[in-house]
Amino acid sequence: MNDLYRPRLVTIRKTVIENEARDIKTFELVFLEQKDREKFKFDCGQFAMLSVPGAGESPIGIASSPLDDEYLHFTVKRYSTGVVTTALHGLEEESQIGVRGPYGNFYPLKAMQDKNILIVGGGFAFTTLRSTIRYLLHDKNRSRFKDITVFYGARSPGELIYKSELKEWEKRGDVNMYVTVDRGEESWKGRVGLVPNVLKEAAPSSENSMALVCGPPIMLKYTMPPLLDLGFSPERIITSMERRMSCGIGKCGRCNIASKFVCKDGPVFTYKELRDLPEAAV
Amino acid sequence: MKEKIIKKEQIGSWLEGLGKDYEIWAPVKKKGLVHFHHIESTKEIHFDFLNSKKTPKDLFFPQSEVLFSFAKEEVETTPQKARIIFAIRPCDAKSLALLDQVFDSEDYQDPYYVQRREGTLLLGMACTHPQRSCFCTSVKGGPFEKAHLDLLMADLGDGRYFVEALTERGEDLMEKDDSLQDPQKEERGKLAKVKEEAEKKVKSKLAMEGLEKKLDEIFDSSFWDRVHQKCLGCGICTYLCSTCHCFALLDEKDKCGVQRVRSWDSCMFPEFTLEASGHNPRISNRERMRQRVMHKFNYFVKRYGETACVGCGRCIQNCPVNMDIREIIEEIENERPLPS
Amino acid sequence: MQECEKELRKVAEKLLAEKKVDLIIGYEEGSLPIRTRPVFIQETGETSRLVWNSRCESNLCSYLKTIKGRVGIVAKGCDIRSIVGLVKEKQIKREDVFIIAVPCAGIIDRKKIEDILDGRELLEGVENDSQILLKGEGFEEKVDKDKLVHASCKSCGHRNPVLYDTLIGKEISQPEIGECSDLEEFASKPGDERWAYLNSEAAECIRCYACRNVCPACYCPQCFVDQSLPTWFGRTPHPSDSLIFHMIRTLHTAGRCVDCGACSRVCPMNIELRMLNKKAEKDVKELYHYEAGINLEELPPMATFKMDDPQEFIK
Repeated sequence: MNDLYRPRLVTIRKTVIENEARDIKTFELVFLEQKDREKFKFDCGQFAMLSVPGAGESPIGIASSPLDDEYLHFTVKRYSTGVVTTALHGLEEESQIGVRGPYGNFYPLKAMQDKNILIVGGGFAFTTLRSTIRYLLHDKNRSRFKDITVFYGARSPGELIYKSELKEWEKRGDVNMYVTVDRGEESWKGRVGLVPNVLKEAAPSSENSMALVCGPPIMLKYTMPPLLDLGFSPERIITSMERRMSCGIGKCGRCNIASKFVCKDGPVFTYKELRDLPEAAV
Repeated sequence: MKEKIIKKEQIGSWLEGLGKDYEIWAPVKKKGLVHFHHIESTKEIHFDFLNSKKTPKDLFFPQSEVLFSFAKEEVETTPQKARIIFAIRPCDAKSLALLDQVFDSEDYQDPYYVQRREGTLLLGMACTHPQRSCFCTSVKGGPFEKAHLDLLMADLGDGRYFVEALTERGEDLMEKDDSLQDPQKEERGKLAKVKEEAEKKVKSKLAMEGLEKKLDEIFDSSFWDRVHQKCLGCGICTYLCSTCHCFALLDEKDKCGVQRVRSWDSCMFPEFTLEASGHNPRISNRERMRQRVMHKFNYFVKRYGETACVGCGRCIQNCPVNMDIREIIEEIENERPLPS
Repeated sequence: MQECEKELRKVAEKLLAEKKVDLIIGYEEGSLPIRTRPVFIQETGETSRLVWNSRCESNLCSYLKTIKGRVGIVAKGCDIRSIVGLVKEKQIKREDVFIIAVPCAGIIDRKKIEDILDGRELLEGVENDSQILLKGEGFEEKVDKDKLVHASCKSCGHRNPVLYDTLIGKEISQPEIGECSDLEEFASKPGDERWAYLNSEAAECIRCYACRNVCPACYCPQCFVDQSLPTWFGRTPHPSDSLIFHMIRTLHTAGRCVDCGACSRVCPMNIELRMLNKKAEKDVKELYHYEAGINLEELPPMATFKMDDPQEFIK
């Protein structure tokens, strides 16, 4: 019998608390069996079901790059009403959990070759974009893409995630970083301003460009118009959707947005596809 | 393929013979309700029923089943004796073919479902008395429909049944029994008459042409504000529907440790799409009723090319507030599309 | 009965025309033989859809939980007691409900008709004051309505409204109702027999929650069933989980349930757990001398503490 619903076991090798509120944690997971890691071939934008036996499963976007072949990173936000995320956050390093996947479609990086790439992220919705940035900036890949520009913002400096990586990327000459916060603090010497406003001001060119956008619904609502104004056509704006999931493989009927399953036909959609999809509410 | 006649009083011994190699599941009346149960004796079989209360889908897709136990390394296969489901109606057989599209698809085959499907023969019983709430003929089915069955029996009304094999496996069931006689011309004539009368009894005719497109056009219409008003938001229509198949994966603990369980769920329940953040994309009964109708008559059609409804009428019969999908479809047909 | 129906339609029409209510909730004929169903009427001219007969079975008060604005509701004796309960528990305002009281001598139990039909299809049912004529293919049977009345109606002590804004027709005779004989009989059985019965009923439950959703007293925005932190019991229809669900629901509705019978009517699996509710009702009456939904003044005992509350159970 195939083990369609059975997760593979992983150990939590390391945990990093990403934010000041201490409710966003990155888990570094290592498969118990190397053959499971080899089988887990994934692309940027995909997700996996993380299993905490006794609590349940939760779909989480993969935050590590496909080229980080020793481990997987998942950045998980704990919700007070979330059984699985609460249980996950309560686990110590060396604990074992399950991973099922990779599932879903992925960012169309092949189509983005030889193009300029604009990446826009907000708050917690930066995890699969981080996977993408790591992948794009890798020596093996960088030369295949043109300019890479990243806009990323959080509500306050403490809420920015992947802080050390953001600093590293800011030092690099092959990526343009615009990190911002909605409200600053005394110690914050960086940019202050909402992501859509910073984007409007910087006005990146849409020529030969594609945009990857991930953020909470409110951020998407105010980011799409400036992108369209800048000349990005709806087919060239790529985003990732979320819904509550159970099976992750298009069978249980839970995660659909109209006729599309977010786990199977998504989570990656173009803005054009979403505008034509009822129930997408974009 | 093979055709035979069998007397009603011989059916018991025929099934008992088959019972040596197969587990027999047949309609049994318990507490006033008819449902398909595993029978020890053919005396338990209840012949006079319009259709079972619960659909036989739970013989393949149980309301709850343990998928695996975390304590055990391998996913265990429980060896199963082959089964015969006796007197399953053509509509319910068709519903299994629709469920096959979901659970036995090209990319993922659900092992639990597939194993049960492959190990089960469907010995169908034609409907000589379709109910007023039946509308199988509107969704490409019929009271004497042969598709998706291994055998079809039909009550000729004179104490005898016409039996027709529809697959090789069905023919095997007719192999060794002496009580089966060859039909004569007169019996074929009777069969044709009984079939014609049954088809006339399916009075509900729905105009399904163009329904998918119409639904696309009225997605945001105020039509949905009216349709959902009476609905209580319970799970009766879902759980008694032949084709509904949404499920949840749950972790449950017992003495042996943690098990992953698959359990039926319903899109009519508010927490079906409730996210941990508190956001619920289908916040009210309006959106959930719309989802139910759209899924069956639009989304499933887009994905699999068929309507996810076999016209069995159980939702109509059992809804506590008499919501009637036939009326809803008619209202959809008459609804003016929104200007694009 | 026909007279009542005519009067009901006139009253409803007038209420809508004078804009005394925004909406009328009542009953109309359904799409299957002998079925009636809830109807929501907002336009004058539509009130001819309203019916009143012995087949008007749902408790319409469950809709009051979510409807906004001023509502006129067709209510039987038991329904009105539900409304009293909802007002007392501050779920609806008295001034937002216009109670159109209808005198009710009992509503038939469709499950009893199913038993009589024994698998035959009912094609038509014709009702008069005392009987229902059941017609189908090759059969016609007259049945006395009082043999078909639901068990909850048989033990109803409030056929006439305890409260109303308008009464359709006249008050009807109220027979003396003693102790619930069904409960007495059940309670007299040995403990393990009762336990076996409750378990076997709960084992049939498919957890559709129709009983909960139709009950006017069940209005929690998040039911204990749907809580995940903590998860009180399993989601699957394991008999022990199903029994816990029904028992806890009985406790939550204790002192608030008016025995309208809606929960037992809507159950698709013919589960009969009314004894649990009747027992809770009896206990509340004995301990707190309280009957649910009789008047607006008495405080609900499960939400009130008095120094002289009985305490013999504290040992």
